[in-house]
Amino acid sequence: MNAITPTPGGQVGRSIPRLEATSKVTGRVEYVHNLRLPGMLSVKLVRSTVAHGRIKSIDVEEALKVPGVHRIVTSEDVLKVIPVPYYGPAFHDQPILAIGKVHFVGEPVAAVLASDPHVAEQAARLVVVDYEELPAVFDEVEALKSKTVVHEQLKPAGTFPDLKHLHGVRDTNLALDFQLVHGDPAKAFAEADHVFEHTFRTQQVLHVPLEPYVSVAETDGNTMTIHTASQSPSFVRLEIARLLGWVENRVRVRVPFLGGGFGGKLYIKLEALVAALSLITMRPVKLALTMEEQFYTLTKHASTFRIKSAVSKDGRVTGRECEVWWNGGAYADIGPRITQKSGFTAPGPYDIENVKIDSYALYTNLPPAGALRGFGIPQLVWAYESHTDLIARELKIDPVAFRRKNLLRDGREQATGTVVRDMGADACLERAAELMNWDAPFDRGSGTIKRGRAIAVGFKASISPTTSVAVVNVAADGSCTLFCGTVDMGQGSDTAMAQLVAEVLNIPAETVRVVHSDTDVTPYDMATLGSRSTFHMGHAVRLAAEDARAKLAALATEVGVAPGSNVPIRELFVRKYKMQAGTIVGTGSYIPDYTSPHQGTGQSANVTPFWMVGATGIELEVDTETGHVKITKMINVADVGRAINPKIVESQLSGAAIMQLGFTTTEKMEFEGGQCTNASFADYKIPGFADLPPTMTNVVVDANQHNGPFGAKGVGESGTFGVSPAYANAIEDAVGVRITTLPITPEKVYRAMCAARNEPLED
Amino acid sequence: MIPFEMLEPKSLRDATALLDADDPTIRPLGGGTALMLMMKAGVFQPSRLVSLRSVEPRYSTITVNSDGSFNIGALAPLASLEHSADIHKHLPVITRTMQVLSNVRVRNVATIGGCLAHGDPHMDLPPVLISLGAKVRVIGPDSERTIPVADLLTGYYETQLAKNELIAELIIPPQNGKRSVYLKCTTRAAHDWPALGVAVSVAGNRDGLSEAHVVISAATERAQRVEQASALLVGPPANDKLFKDAGEAAASAVELIGDSQGSVPYKRQLVRVFVERALRQAIDGGITQ
Ligand SMILES: Cc1cc2nc3c(=O)[nH]c(=O)nc-3n(C[C@H](O)[C@H](O)[C@H](O)COP(=O)(O)OP(=O)(O)OC[C@H]3O[C@@H](n4cnc5c(N)ncnc54)[C@H](O)[C@@H]3O)c2cc1C
Repeated sequence: MNAITPTPGGQVGRSIPRLEATSKVTGRVEYVHNLRLPGMLSVKLVRSTVAHGRIKSIDVEEALKVPGVHRIVTSEDVLKVIPVPYYGPAFHDQPILAIGKVHFVGEPVAAVLASDPHVAEQAARLVVVDYEELPAVFDEVEALKSKTVVHEQLKPAGTFPDLKHLHGVRDTNLALDFQLVHGDPAKAFAEADHVFEHTFRTQQVLHVPLEPYVSVAETDGNTMTIHTASQSPSFVRLEIARLLGWVENRVRVRVPFLGGGFGGKLYIKLEALVAALSLITMRPVKLALTMEEQFYTLTKHASTFRIKSAVSKDGRVTGRECEVWWNGGAYADIGPRITQKSGFTAPGPYDIENVKIDSYALYTNLPPAGALRGFGIPQLVWAYESHTDLIARELKIDPVAFRRKNLLRDGREQATGTVVRDMGADACLERAAELMNWDAPFDRGSGTIKRGRAIAVGFKASISPTTSVAVVNVAADGSCTLFCGTVDMGQGSDTAMAQLVAEVLNIPAETVRVVHSDTDVTPYDMATLGSRSTFHMGHAVRLAAEDARAKLAALATEVGVAPGSNVPIRELFVRKYKMQAGTIVGTGSYIPDYTSPHQGTGQSANVTPFWMVGATGIELEVDTETGHVKITKMINVADVGRAINPKIVESQLSGAAIMQLGFTTTEKMEFEGGQCTNASFADYKIPGFADLPPTMTNVVVDANQHNGPFGAKGVGESGTFGVSPAYANAIEDAVGVRITTLPITPEKVYRAMCAARNEPLED
Repeated sequence: MIPFEMLEPKSLRDATALLDADDPTIRPLGGGTALMLMMKAGVFQPSRLVSLRSVEPRYSTITVNSDGSFNIGALAPLASLEHSADIHKHLPVITRTMQVLSNVRVRNVATIGGCLAHGDPHMDLPPVLISLGAKVRVIGPDSERTIPVADLLTGYYETQLAKNELIAELIIPPQNGKRSVYLKCTTRAAHDWPALGVAVSVAGNRDGLSEAHVVISAATERAQRVEQASALLVGPPANDKLFKDAGEAAASAVELIGDSQGSVPYKRQLVRVFVERALRQAIDGGITQ
């Protein structure tokens, strides 16, 4: 591990405005959506109308008659340029265009190309695909046992050791069964004073970046350049090179700014398709999805979580059994990683000696699911923090006191056996309780308005082990440029990374220029995901800057300048090269230590380099006549280590909490026979300003991550953790009904209240 | 996009002549906010659009008459109603409704004519206008008639208008001190279309109402008066019990549509509650027109 010595630069901890703010609000930053290349063709996709079926025929005759259509491509054409056109980070299961079969409504079957996107759109409507429908499976719990299988055979990518045993396995929808056993859960349940068991479910939702998916490819047959709105340019290069059978340096991936990502724009989305189409047509090809097409691209896992606890008379949780079914949809994407890496946190931030976890990644005939701000954690916290509150209520213990009693504290073993350090669950809980005035009397409302409140705490491990590499250039005039592959999709990473460089080199952060991902010049980075960048790339950037600083010091010595003198950098270069010339190149590479969990028991001495914690407190009012719920106060607290840029941290927390509020209250993809029936933003509602709590406090606890860059760690997801269970718990606190499925609509609350007074509302 | 013809006549009468009573692919274009969405979604492919933007300027004006009645040109953008001092003075319920109707970008271009001709039962203004007793003046190539807004709307996206008729103006009668309230009930995001709209307009006080209009929209296939509730309200002391009964009467009278905004039984409960609340607000805090 790298020892950290804080430097006195004073750049870390400054709330400087975003470096790109001015160019963004004046419309000057680059987005792939605005890119037009000479001779470029636009693509419109023909998508499957059935959830599971064999393709009998694809009739393009009428479509080809539309004036201006350049070409219509199906998998037959793709196979000629890419013989094995299957991709995916965990499984090579997803074809560039459907081959023989379709697996969900919305799956791309054919691509229509034209210079004018409207022409392509019109022609795409005229392509007739004939299917032989097959039985389909949609529910994750059913999928585990179902005779209907989505894929005949499993095709793990080979990158992850714990998926190797699934190679070639047939007739199953199970894409990973992660298991963990800690202590002796059977004994704990046998000896328990109380046993509680509940099941909670979450719905399928989506990312909704304001910039939908978009990619452009151009090729000369020898090299390929892909301009794409991607969170993982290095992965795109690797995967495209693999698909084409090329070496990496023949593929160049460029990523400017993103208009949001949230985990959707990871791995391969449209890149393989535009790459194939550009090779087939030898023209630049652009595919820009509409807002509505996002519903058929990537979603967040629906889930079912059965959770069972053994509790002693005095309110200690002594054992916990967790069974989680993840609805991965038709393609695995990163689902199996979620199943494992988040799966092992399923018992929650509690000190429980005996734990058993079964976490299943399942294929179904729904649009694929992947990472979405929290990587599975919000689904888990929803269940375990609802469950925790139910137990406390049943035992008549104050919910905060109950948590306090069972909380996982530094120095104790988490379910994986890893001893936790710098976790801050206790600090977050206490701060939230304080901000909620938990010990003060609480107004319970009157008339048709009843009031309630609650707190929930969740935690997450960092996805490990992953690598980041950075380069810091110092030009001959002393100006400084950072080359790093972290994608700024609105989270402010450019600014934070510049602050790290500036801290080390003792210069103002505003003067550091950050070069965005271009795999021809920016070095490898695993991806911008899972709140990993501040920690991993942060270290790489720090190391690169320190390397540059050391080289500057060596240069100073070489030209006879005493250490610590204030001779300007440009003077050092002039003394050496006799003119303004030369460059100093600092490099940094970082991968944390990690021990892979034991297969079967899930045990590991070092499962993560750091833990993230988020707590949410909510006060709300329920209208007992309609079930409408209004949040009157919301508190979000997180342990982010030391905040590199406190203002950015605060907006990350509020943004994450608002996003999760949408998943809690309104957002849900509705399906009928696998067809999403609300695939538009007229019917799928995300929160607007009028839905926000009137007061919202977003704070961090005083903390230092011992092994983080300048004490920092990730923040992008922590604000999501506690929101859903805090909301449901506060509703129960207000009106005594328990909602166990998301989203929590007014009708659901009203129905639960009717049922509770034995006057159920008919369906 | 399949090419189509776009015409911009200089008079409203000329516009009617460019329409065709028998051709559904020819339509007038007001602000285009509804029409463009339908075209984008592929549910409407025009052969010709007749834009009304260049017709006589008088069709965009708002006129208040000495008796407090209004004549509002069909091309008046919703934002002009929102910001009109006369409307704010005489018909404050409209000013208030504008604050919950869509967003500023839509209100800036959407026209009052388009808003009434579209026939979407979720629109916020039609129930309000019905409760105020408003009418529209409609012209055809060689005809002219006046229709109460309550009768204009005949069904789900259906109106009485012939395909070559145009709404020329909206006429709102004097309100003479009646008090009106519009409640928009959403069940998903706050800025959503309503799951239920309730507009009430009453004359009288707690001792008794001399006139009452209860209109329901969004949960029904069209915005409609609920006569059962209105009738029950006139005469007896206007107490909370009466309002509750009116809510109950409305809930059992209207035919509701269940959808992703709520099931029929739930919407029935919403009707019950919101009619009662609207009446209470109208009589207590309601704004005098
Ligand atoms: C994003 C969005 C959100 C919205 N939210 C709301 C909301 O919350 N509440 C609400 O009430 N409304 C809402 N609306 C709807 C909006 O009010 C209507 O789109 C608008 O009123 C239509 O007016 P327009 O002038 O744009 O009509 P257009 O789109 O031009 O036309 C609509 C229809 O009326 C016909 N037409 C237009 N003018 C005339 C005329 N003079 N005579 C006869 N026929 C005519 C057209 O042929 C067409 O069939 C929303 C719209 C959008 C786009």
